[in-house]
Amino acid sequence: MKLDWQFWSRRLIWLALAIATAVFLLVKVHARMYVSRPALDLYRAVEAVPPDKIIVISCNWEMGTYGENGPQTEALIRQCLKLGKRFAIFGWTWPPGPMLGQQIAERLQRPYHRRYGRDWVNWGFNTGGSPMIRGWAKNIPGTIKEDIFHKPIMSYPVMKGVNTARDVGLIIDITPSNTLITWIEFVYGIYRTPIGYACTGVMAPEAFPYYDAHQIVGVLKGLAGAAEYEQLLGYRGDALKRMPAQSSAHALIIALIVLGNVIYLRARRRGQAPGARLTTT
Amino acid sequence: MRSVAPRLVIWLGAFALAAYLGIRFHVFAPTLGIWLAAIATLAIYSILYRENVVFRLFEHIFIGLAAGYSLYTVVVQVLIPKWFTPLFKEGCWYWIFAFLVGTMFYSVYSKRWSWMNRVAVGFFMGLSAGLGIVGFVTGLAPQLMASFKPLWAQRPPYVEFNNVVFFITLVTVMSYFFFSFEQRHPAVRGSARLGRWLLMIAFGAIFGNTVMARMSLLIDRLQFLLLQWLQVFGKG
Repeated sequence: MKLDWQFWSRRLIWLALAIATAVFLLVKVHARMYVSRPALDLYRAVEAVPPDKIIVISCNWEMGTYGENGPQTEALIRQCLKLGKRFAIFGWTWPPGPMLGQQIAERLQRPYHRRYGRDWVNWGFNTGGSPMIRGWAKNIPGTIKEDIFHKPIMSYPVMKGVNTARDVGLIIDITPSNTLITWIEFVYGIYRTPIGYACTGVMAPEAFPYYDAHQIVGVLKGLAGAAEYEQLLGYRGDALKRMPAQSSAHALIIALIVLGNVIYLRARRRGQAPGARLTTT
Repeated sequence: MRSVAPRLVIWLGAFALAAYLGIRFHVFAPTLGIWLAAIATLAIYSILYRENVVFRLFEHIFIGLAAGYSLYTVVVQVLIPKWFTPLFKEGCWYWIFAFLVGTMFYSVYSKRWSWMNRVAVGFFMGLSAGLGIVGFVTGLAPQLMASFKPLWAQRPPYVEFNNVVFFITLVTVMSYFFFSFEQRHPAVRGSARLGRWLLMIAFGAIFGNTVMARMSLLIDRLQFLLLQWLQVFGKG
């Protein structure tokens, strides 16, 4: 029986990828990251937020990108809890985002002796896009009204003195979507509130023109960004644990690209591949 | 067939009751959750072998769950506290206009009343255009300013090098997008060609990031399957 190579080659690549990553997940390898400038800048921006201002953690993500945005959210919330920076979880693109942020914050708050309402709050999900963000920047209590437990947000001590975007020390947009531009246009552009960005790897190249123009203070680029942040915080979380597997997958993909090109060039030389020189007789 | 149906109903009912009680009293909630997540993950990954019924079933379950959860969140966290309560409990009668404008969108289904949909769409188009102008000034103008970079006397020297690379990339890529006239002159043609190459490098970098992102998601699921699910499997 002849093997259908066209059918099996792709499946074998999936299998090789699964093995290459699984091995490095099961074998403990201590990854050490080179901390990039954008990640370091975001870390310092969180540290520099004064005590009279709140940090907004904009959880604009959902389960589909948990692999990247989850460790980023965890690292950023951990830093806020560790430093005692008050923060608010908020979402306006993906409805599950604030709930996922809530789960992470609830799990992390105990070791740092922080409490909901006193040290942090969850504003929940809101619709309305750009006009809502414009309204939010002018009047936070009027736009948000209630937290996820349906209590007025101003009844919590953590909200003391937080009325407009000028009372926000830093907004960190954690997202796989193009929501950053709304924060920049309607909050940074008008109120000069600093913006940080934690995005998926796909979105990272689009962030750098904003970082270069100083419209955002720092960038966390996908899982690698989360791993850099974990290293800055001095703990070994999911991102650092996954980085050896990530590097192994990348190495395999590079090897497969080289192999694919060699096979293609050989076939082309023999006149068996598209792009081959046609010989006329 | 007749004798099988009642038994099947009883078994399904018993299973549903056991599952409900187990979750309600936290007997096997974590284990059940992990098992459900593992089955769902494997069902979705089954597409890697070939198209199949199990993948389609779980794909539809996910779409239904996402739509249901989104609807629930919008109703509970947005419509009730920000529209229903002010309108009916706090006497803010003017919130009725939000309902009227919102309803106008649905007039598209009637030939007679579809003009009302155009009024609502026109209103929001005007709103978006106005916000777009604000966005251009506050979002893009600083980037235009930031593209004027000094090319010499910078410390440390790599900044100077970076700025030169930035300048060459900016000029050559812009020259590639001059489509108003034919690029005949060798200088313009050469610049446009270099711009195209630099664009290819940028696309390669973007694609590399995309691969990195997709691998991160795969690793997340594999970590779950290997360390959370199989551990439970081993204990069971």
